[in-house]
Amino acid sequence: MVNGTQSFIRLENISKSFGSVHANRNISLDLYSGKIKALLGENGAGKSTLMSILAGKLQPDQGRIWLNGQPVDFSSTKAAIKAGVGMVYQHFMLVDAMTVTENIFLGQEEGFLIKPKKLEHQVKDLASKYGLDIDPSARISALSMGERQRVEILKLLQRQSQFLIFDEPTTVLTPHETTQLFEALKQMAHQGKAIVFISHKLDEVLEIADEIVVLRQGSVVETLNVSDVTSKSELAQLMVGREIMFQIEKQPVEPKQIVLRVESLSDDVLKNINLEVRQGEILGIVGVAGNGQKPLIETICGLNPPRQGKVFIFGQSWNQFFAHRPWDGALSYIPEDRQGLATCLGLDLVDNFLLTTREGFTKGPWLMKKQAEEKAQGLIETFGVQPGDVRVLARQLSGGNLQKMVLSREFYRRPRLIVAEQPTQGLDIAATEDIWNLLLKAREKAGVVLITGDLTEALALSDRVAVMYEGQIMDTFHTSDTEKIDQIGLMMAGIAP
Amino acid sequence: MSLEFLLPLLAAAVQSGTPILYATLGEIFTEKSGILNLGIEGIMMLGALAGFVTSKVTGSPILGFLLGGCAGALLASLHGLVCLGFQGNQVVSGLALTILGIGLADYLGTPFIGQDASGFSPISIPILSEIPLVGRVFFNHDPLVYTSYIIPPLMWIFFRYTRWGLGVRAVGEYPEAAYAGGLSVIGYRWAGILVGGYLVGLGGAYLSLAYTHLWTNGLSAGRGWIAVALVIFAFWNPMRAAVGAYLFGGVMAFQLRLQATGTHIPSSLLLMLPYGLTVIVLVFSSWKGQGLDAPAALGINVEPSE
Repeated sequence: MVNGTQSFIRLENISKSFGSVHANRNISLDLYSGKIKALLGENGAGKSTLMSILAGKLQPDQGRIWLNGQPVDFSSTKAAIKAGVGMVYQHFMLVDAMTVTENIFLGQEEGFLIKPKKLEHQVKDLASKYGLDIDPSARISALSMGERQRVEILKLLQRQSQFLIFDEPTTVLTPHETTQLFEALKQMAHQGKAIVFISHKLDEVLEIADEIVVLRQGSVVETLNVSDVTSKSELAQLMVGREIMFQIEKQPVEPKQIVLRVESLSDDVLKNINLEVRQGEILGIVGVAGNGQKPLIETICGLNPPRQGKVFIFGQSWNQFFAHRPWDGALSYIPEDRQGLATCLGLDLVDNFLLTTREGFTKGPWLMKKQAEEKAQGLIETFGVQPGDVRVLARQLSGGNLQKMVLSREFYRRPRLIVAEQPTQGLDIAATEDIWNLLLKAREKAGVVLITGDLTEALALSDRVAVMYEGQIMDTFHTSDTEKIDQIGLMMAGIAP
Repeated sequence: MSLEFLLPLLAAAVQSGTPILYATLGEIFTEKSGILNLGIEGIMMLGALAGFVTSKVTGSPILGFLLGGCAGALLASLHGLVCLGFQGNQVVSGLALTILGIGLADYLGTPFIGQDASGFSPISIPILSEIPLVGRVFFNHDPLVYTSYIIPPLMWIFFRYTRWGLGVRAVGEYPEAAYAGGLSVIGYRWAGILVGGYLVGLGGAYLSLAYTHLWTNGLSAGRGWIAVALVIFAFWNPMRAAVGAYLFGGVMAFQLRLQATGTHIPSSLLLMLPYGLTVIVLVFSSWKGQGLDAPAALGINVEPSE
């Protein structure tokens, strides 16, 4: 069994492919107790795959795992758990319909009957020991993302795991919760646990890790001590394999007429929302997901009528505008769920192009498929969508290319108001840069509402920023107002300065 | 309505509700593990035949009842093979199972049509059957009815207070989480299919060993489908399943009695009653429950590695 202080795990020459994609190529890695090791890499670099192999969830095609010098076979999650390896997955492995306690004891072998009261007590003790505040009898579905993560951590602590893997743990957290998590991680490392921290965020990695392993396209490109890292851009360059600009060119544009006005909009979630967007500007709406961004977008984009208050688009009331929404020169919505709301994965790119532009290719009852195909082909070539063939199905496109295809379609409609929701979520840096430049260019002709959880993105693109918390807008200010910008973190946590 | 009409009607409701109860409990068990089995009607028919033939050959209705369950589990294992072994579509496989089960029972049962076998007869439970009203309705039946009283609370406790029950629920709600927690998803789902199939088979055997002691074709007469609907009505709760099963048993018994009184309402219209009620119940539960109580991963296959 694992012994507190000197345990270590060695991954040796691990390779794993999914079809023709090499997720891991010949990776070797050591984990020591008491150390926090960061796996840094872009989406698709193979970080999660490698750690899923260590957690027994996936099997490697080649290579082996050593625990304290002994070869081990993690052919199932059960075997890995027994050896003391636990993982907090990016998508939490919690059963929503069950309680905190039930989730923590799921899969634990201790007798046949469950005594809920006794177990709840155990959870409570464990939680207070590590300073992870939680209600043991609460249902998962009633918990915030931060609380769910605590349940995941408690699960591992309950099993006395010695090797704790965290896959992109900060994505769903507020800045405050992130600080708390980092405290807990340091605490656990101090107590002799080996921690693996998977991330693509440079600042976090630099803050928390002892050692950084940079992965690119399935291979380890560099392993370095945090003290040896001289600059952030050095790390970033290792990660993407080229220089990237963190500052993008933003040409000033003179704001013109108002394209969107929201007046005291309220419903179950939203509380008295007021905002205005002019042609030529980007309004960034930031906040932790689930603070009312969704209902606000759904009302602006015509999915739900305003319950209380008014929405004016190009000066027309919500009812007037959506009664006969014009297909071009009007409103474009770029939803977060690009594989669900924005596209039909089983249709080819021409049909997907026609989803929102069909009125421009209609003659009587007929669709002019030929023209649409030519137009769509031209567009995806201009926007650099790979593969550059309109006859492929939407599902064959990578996330970044699918998003570019959606943008090319929406920009073809020459919108004067664009609502972009998490437009670069899950995209790699190159694709993100492309999308950012496209949005900046679009703002010359249109007003843009940008809803994002990524502050870097909001600050890089926006002319003004509005912070949302629990259905209200805490404040709206220009991105030149550095004093306010420093307070965004507090505002996102509901603390008005 | 006089007590003299009502009491026997309620007693009959319990009796004709019992096979539906067994089947509903079986389907709840299977669905809790995330597997949708629409083959209940076929499984019931095969269970009924296996029970009948065993009792006829051995003279032991108890053995017949138990083997009826085994036949149910055996036919259900075909569903497991298709859905767990080969990731087949659960709806299609279930429907095929219904057709197969009914056809097989009809074919194999042909030599026995119109024959009888020894079955179960009512035994009054001393003291309990003396309780006014309740005694006559609930404690004046055959032993299989009494057995069926114990199963819903047992199942309720199983799902709530046992480690295995927790496991079955977890693989039905979020198999990935169950696997990440070290559980065998495929193993638990096999258990869900086999135990569920066994219970459904018992429901079938009840029909040929206690409800009648005769063999005829089409003995289950749509009760399997009613059970599928009752699972939704019960919000996957075994205790509520008993309420639903007796409600349907009541309607079935009522329409039989109404026919016997020589009413002018056409008998085919009366025969339709339980199925009409099924539709109403489904509409009601969908409106009330909005499907929120369904196991989240119901009908969704998992990869064999999990």
